[in-house]
Amino acid sequence: MNAAIYAANFSEWLEKYKGRFINDFITDNRWKYLWNGLGVTLKITFGALIIGVILGFLVAAIRSTHDKTGKLRILNFICQIYLTVIRGTPVVVQLLITYFVILAPLGVDEIIVAICAFGINSGAYVAEIVRAGIMSIDNGQFEAGRSLGFNYAQTMWYIILPQAFKNILPALCNEFIVLLKETSVSGYVALQDLTKGGDIIRGRTFDAFMPLIAVALIYLVLVMILTKLVSLLERKLRSSEH
Amino acid sequence: MNIDKESLIEVNNLEKHFGDLHAINGVSTKISKGEVVVIIGPSGSGKSTFLRSLNLLEAPTGGEIIFEGVNMMDKSVDINKHRQKMGMVFQHFHLFPHMTVLRNITIAPIKLLKLSKEDAEERAMKLLNKVGLADRANAYPSQLSGGQKQRIAIVRALCMQPDVMLFDEPTSALDPEMVGEVLDVMKSLAKEGMTMVVVTHEMGFAREVADRVIFMAEGKILETGTPEEIFTAPKTDKAKQFLASVL
Repeated sequence: MNAAIYAANFSEWLEKYKGRFINDFITDNRWKYLWNGLGVTLKITFGALIIGVILGFLVAAIRSTHDKTGKLRILNFICQIYLTVIRGTPVVVQLLITYFVILAPLGVDEIIVAICAFGINSGAYVAEIVRAGIMSIDNGQFEAGRSLGFNYAQTMWYIILPQAFKNILPALCNEFIVLLKETSVSGYVALQDLTKGGDIIRGRTFDAFMPLIAVALIYLVLVMILTKLVSLLERKLRSSEH
Repeated sequence: MNIDKESLIEVNNLEKHFGDLHAINGVSTKISKGEVVVIIGPSGSGKSTFLRSLNLLEAPTGGEIIFEGVNMMDKSVDINKHRQKMGMVFQHFHLFPHMTVLRNITIAPIKLLKLSKEDAEERAMKLLNKVGLADRANAYPSQLSGGQKQRIAIVRALCMQPDVMLFDEPTSALDPEMVGEVLDVMKSLAKEGMTMVVVTHEMGFAREVADRVIFMAEGKILETGTPEEIFTAPKTDKAKQFLASVL
């Protein structure tokens, strides 16, 4: 008897959720908010990643050159200001300032604004990770390179950075995951990223549960894919040593 | 000293300060082509600093280093070009762990001397054969013993075909049973007429191979002479004390 009641309850429950699912994602092609939002999120993340890595390696090169040789004092000072300001203020505030104060008056596209803001933000963290990686390599490696006749930059490029990169890969990966998740505040500058897409559906259907769980799941899957890729790369790099 | 031989390195009044520490205090000497000079002395005597000054890994604070007629301390000198002609071997080998043995040896000739990969590898294999490590060409440094690492490090420096080889305590980090294999490579190198400057605690090597022994203490050259002169009849008390403690 009880089983029949449970079964009836269950199918009723299933019906209800099916209805909510259809209302949230199928009606009016609402899944497209998530799909298009995902596209925006990935565009911002990868754009910012590229800027962040370039900026980060540049700043790290300047800072560690200063640490090792005492040269580039002015550039090092500028880098230090950059690191202090970026790491000392919230990324949302940086995004808002980049958009409303600097770039919106010039009529720059929102996605470009977000890519710049997140890229500049990420660069500060990448820089310190890379610098720590460079400083972790034994100075003897540096001397061996210089004693063969490599100049400073060549020694960095052929000898120090490949070793440093392997050491910092986990930390860099972590930074990229943080970056991906941080782009979820892009909605602040009227960008319809993944998070905003879920939120728009919530606004239409007055159902918070399904769209937000869907958004969370998509982020989770993205991060898991990224983690898997990096662990594959790490294994490949490590196997090249033996 | 041999005047008729061409001098390769001339050091005049070399000075090096580390803050308050006066590591090298007015050192002058000449090193001729083909000469094997062994520098001995107690720890802290400045011998390693002196050696590392010769290719400016340690920037001297005063004096001159004239290598092949060029004052290396001249600001306008491209030090990287001159370092290509001065091979250096370190106490702790400093092989590049992310490269195979062959790559370790060939990267500098390929990138700096613009040798083709084939030419550089041919040159490397010849040298590897000479030190008996041709079969390890594709190994990574972590797979080698200390003695093998040091022989590879010597080959790496030789592959640039330098005019002088600087050795900074090349056997001090080795297990005793591996010292011999490295010294053998150095001996055959000396026999071939390579100019060598060696900082070492291997007195047997100094006695057998050196053309000239320099005894350093407190940043100065206290004595210089043939191994015979230094080892059997040291003039200064410091040298007598030092030799008594190591022989």
